[in-house]
Amino acid sequence: MRLLIKLTLRSIQRHPARTILSMLGITIGVAGILALGITNQASMQSISALFEESSGKVDLMVTASSDNQPLSEGTIRVTENIAAVRVVLPIVKANTAFADQASGGGLELSFLGMDSGGFLLHGVNPVLEPLARDYKIVEGRFLEDPLEALEVVLVESYAQDEDIQVGDRVEVLTPNGVERLRVVGLIAREGPGQINNGAFGIVPLNTAQRMFNRLGEYDQLDLLLTESNSSQALEEVRLAIQRRLGEAVSVTYPAGQGQRMSQMLSNYQIGLNFLSGIALFVGAFLIYNAFAMTVVERTREFGMLRTIGMTRRQIILQVISEALVLGIFGSGLGVLMGILGARGLAGLVGSLLGTDLSADLVVPGGTLLLSLFVGIIVTIIGALMPSIQAGQVSPIAALRVRGRSQEGWITRSGWKFGIAGLLVSTAILLWNPFPYDPQFILGSLTVFLMFGGVTLMIPGTVSTWEKLSRPLMRLIFRNSGLIGSRNIGRSKVRTTLTIVALLIGVAMILVVRVMTASFSQDLVSWINAYIGGDIYIHSSVPLRADMANQVAGITGVGAATPIHYQNIEFMAPGGGLEPLTFMAVDPATYTRVTSFIFSDSNINAQAALAELNDGGALFISSVIAEKYNLGVGDRFWIRTNQGLQDFSIAAVVVDFFNQGLVVTGNRHDLRRFFRSNEISTILVKVDAGVPTADVIANIEQVYGKRYHLSLESNETIRGNISVLMDQAFSMFDVMAVLAVLISSLGIVNTLMMNIMERTQEIGMLRAIGMTRGQVIKMVLSEAGLMGVIGGLVGLVFGVLLAKIFLTGMTAMSGYRLDFIVPLGGVITSLVVALVISQLAAIQPARKASRTNILEAIHYE
Amino acid sequence: MAVLNATNLHKFYQLGEFQIKALNGVDFEVEAGAFVAIMGPSGSGKSTLLHLLGGLDVATDGDVMLTGQAFSELPDHQMTLTRRRNIGFVFQFFNLLPTLTAEENIQLPILIDGGKPEVFQSRVDQLIDLVGLNDRRDHKPDQLSGGEQQRVAIARALVTQPAILLADEPTGNLDTKTGKVIMSLLRRSCDELGQTIIVVTHDPRAAAYADRVVFLRDGKEQETLKFKELKDLSERIRKIMGIMEKMEI
Repeated sequence: MRLLIKLTLRSIQRHPARTILSMLGITIGVAGILALGITNQASMQSISALFEESSGKVDLMVTASSDNQPLSEGTIRVTENIAAVRVVLPIVKANTAFADQASGGGLELSFLGMDSGGFLLHGVNPVLEPLARDYKIVEGRFLEDPLEALEVVLVESYAQDEDIQVGDRVEVLTPNGVERLRVVGLIAREGPGQINNGAFGIVPLNTAQRMFNRLGEYDQLDLLLTESNSSQALEEVRLAIQRRLGEAVSVTYPAGQGQRMSQMLSNYQIGLNFLSGIALFVGAFLIYNAFAMTVVERTREFGMLRTIGMTRRQIILQVISEALVLGIFGSGLGVLMGILGARGLAGLVGSLLGTDLSADLVVPGGTLLLSLFVGIIVTIIGALMPSIQAGQVSPIAALRVRGRSQEGWITRSGWKFGIAGLLVSTAILLWNPFPYDPQFILGSLTVFLMFGGVTLMIPGTVSTWEKLSRPLMRLIFRNSGLIGSRNIGRSKVRTTLTIVALLIGVAMILVVRVMTASFSQDLVSWINAYIGGDIYIHSSVPLRADMANQVAGITGVGAATPIHYQNIEFMAPGGGLEPLTFMAVDPATYTRVTSFIFSDSNINAQAALAELNDGGALFISSVIAEKYNLGVGDRFWIRTNQGLQDFSIAAVVVDFFNQGLVVTGNRHDLRRFFRSNEISTILVKVDAGVPTADVIANIEQVYGKRYHLSLESNETIRGNISVLMDQAFSMFDVMAVLAVLISSLGIVNTLMMNIMERTQEIGMLRAIGMTRGQVIKMVLSEAGLMGVIGGLVGLVFGVLLAKIFLTGMTAMSGYRLDFIVPLGGVITSLVVALVISQLAAIQPARKASRTNILEAIHYE
Repeated sequence: MAVLNATNLHKFYQLGEFQIKALNGVDFEVEAGAFVAIMGPSGSGKSTLLHLLGGLDVATDGDVMLTGQAFSELPDHQMTLTRRRNIGFVFQFFNLLPTLTAEENIQLPILIDGGKPEVFQSRVDQLIDLVGLNDRRDHKPDQLSGGEQQRVAIARALVTQPAILLADEPTGNLDTKTGKVIMSLLRRSCDELGQTIIVVTHDPRAAAYADRVVFLRDGKEQETLKFKELKDLSERIRKIMGIMEKMEI
């Protein structure tokens, strides 16, 4: 045992460069997994903590099922009379802004969980509120009786940002004009202080109701129950209250609100997890390569050890223990890097979520152990085959002959299984027979089957590739290329693994590019229609209904149309109410400013618009259409103030507002069914020839100040969106680059190993007159050919994979995206493959060129 | 006329605290079209001498002149080009590229020199004829016997019509019968093509094919045998063995 440890450590010490190279693969993989794990945990925790802490000791929550059906005094009375309920805390919520603030806000775009804020006021009962939530007062005091005092408590961090002190009076915008409130206290940004990222204030209940014309109305009732219940008992109480209050309200758990947000984020994180899995997969190739190299190099040593009596098992154990040592150190280093990497990642995910995750950034013990464990196991698995090969070294053969790479049925007939695997997995993925829930897991496994298929296909086709690219290699590297590229067929298994690692990296880059392009394409065409006009007007306070007409009268404005977004619920075809946005438009003016993008380009747009105009009809988004298999002519049930109401579907349109969970109706229906006449947004079309900036200035001048309007040009919004898109996809890019990086380490290893095996040959070539430069070209050409194969196969594979991902996404989320293969992405991935292969080959090539001729020709 | 001229060649190696004198003042001259064998016991410096003559190693003192060009004046790159165009090598372990066919292996020096093999096809065909591998030209090395591989190596060494062909134990890895074939082939190259050849060997049967046998000991020339008049191989072998016995090789 002591001998084993000694031999293991000595062997690791003897090749520091290779040790570091192989460790790096594992380190990067482990770091990726851990960084993602930490960030996932932090973001999930942040979301649920936000909802849990902000709801404090509240057991259950009662909210209206539909936005514009506020809870009434009656609901409170009924709730108070339920035996299990100890306290009922009514809350009124209002979105507003400070009068002296530059009108903030902007386009409310929800993309991959990103949302914009605003200032949120809660009207609460000052006496009851402390029973439910622990506000940490850092300065001043909490609200006191009476219920109608003009007082506000703000979050400390927000007050600091806005330079507001305790005792100041702040001017808050209300539908009735500006209301002055005195700041009586500041709370810490923790627990309930985290609501709306701290852009949050509390005022007495009656004050809020009066300020926002909400007398007798409530948005939420928080319930404290008489006794703390087990989760099962709690669920019974919840159902009992729900039954008692009827369908007009929803009784939920406080953390329930966070679930949808987590859901959105988890899709994004699943994608990242998948990619880090791939990085580790590629890392395993690297380990295999490194150990195969060790075994080749030390065949003689193993032979000698076998001659003097070491058993096969002992040899295998020796190699495995080397792997173990590498695995432990590599993974340990990966853990450190992962913790550092998590900080960067948390910043990114935090910006997507609109929250600061750094406080939640704790290293979860489970994830840490898991990533260590995975790193070590992957290393050992990677080293398993080489170690078995080492065990098979015969004592006599080892003393005479150099090790040969193992080539057997994989080279001869592997490609048949490869093609079969590829076809079967592609068919499965495109057909997508999996039920909704395990779809992702089963889909991912099938993708790995595809990887396997591609891997098996390479060895059998290497020679064909070499023949095809001979002219290219000759063109670039002259005759040295001709000699060098032939070498690729020599250690097919090793070469294949290197190529596969590279092609996976290339495919990942392409997948990310295709996804981005496809997303952008749809997003841009939707944005063009959605903000179809030239200017987008928005306000932090509700706009009056006639505002659009007034804007239309301003010089330079060609047309203006009002839009209102109403949060409602609809009856999903599978049963159950689900949240949805009802976008109320005025079809007549809407079509003068912008247009709808109909999913079916052959639809009779005039007829559809006429139907929408007549009322009782909707345009549903393509997302909903795909998700629920709905089409033109089908019925769509919406919960309105008059109960469930069925609408006919007049058209399917491309619309990603609220993640595509949106239907378009007319404003008349908004008034009729939801008793609302509000406007969220006005879209403006500028007269031909008039600069948009001038019109923005005109509108600002006439109404900007008075109505706290925020005006943005179409270009600005599009710019912002592309920044958001880039941010969201940059992480995928990073992971793809990591995969390529790891594969480049694989190329270095493989070439080093090839060169070592061919020392004598290189010595001969130098002896008969090959210059150092020609030797370098020869090695570069070998790597170049790997780059060509990896690049081209990766390209095809990437396109296939992207198609599958898009199909899968459509099936899972309902987003239906056009499949776009961007030329830039294709060129990038090819160039990356070639450049990486050449960069990785530089060091091995230099080493080869420095081969000592005399030593080499006597090298055996 | 001497094609190769080595004067006062010294090669010392430092091995820890010891200095090894591998060559200790050798003068050596080879006429164009000559066939010379170098013999000597292990450590006598015969391989070192061959390496210096082939420009694979640099002498500690003294110089080698090949066709009037002093090796000491050639930088590494020029030396490589000289090896490529003016020196042919045949090694004990054949050293063929396993990825190339026999014919392609023969064309290798032309490829390395950036030439088009088609241009030299008649030369290649002539050599394939000479080494008798017409029916094996498309075979890869692992499909050829040891003797056949060494014949390919000889053809490869001859393809550039080098000023000198150096062979390091060319029969060392072959059985006696095949060794004979290889040495006859070298002899024919000398007689039919006028190729100047230097062979390092420890085998008297191989050395007997040469016109002159130089015996080295402790890095110095000890004895020289000339066979200009003597045609009988077994007689030559007997003479060589006599000297070997005298030198206790």
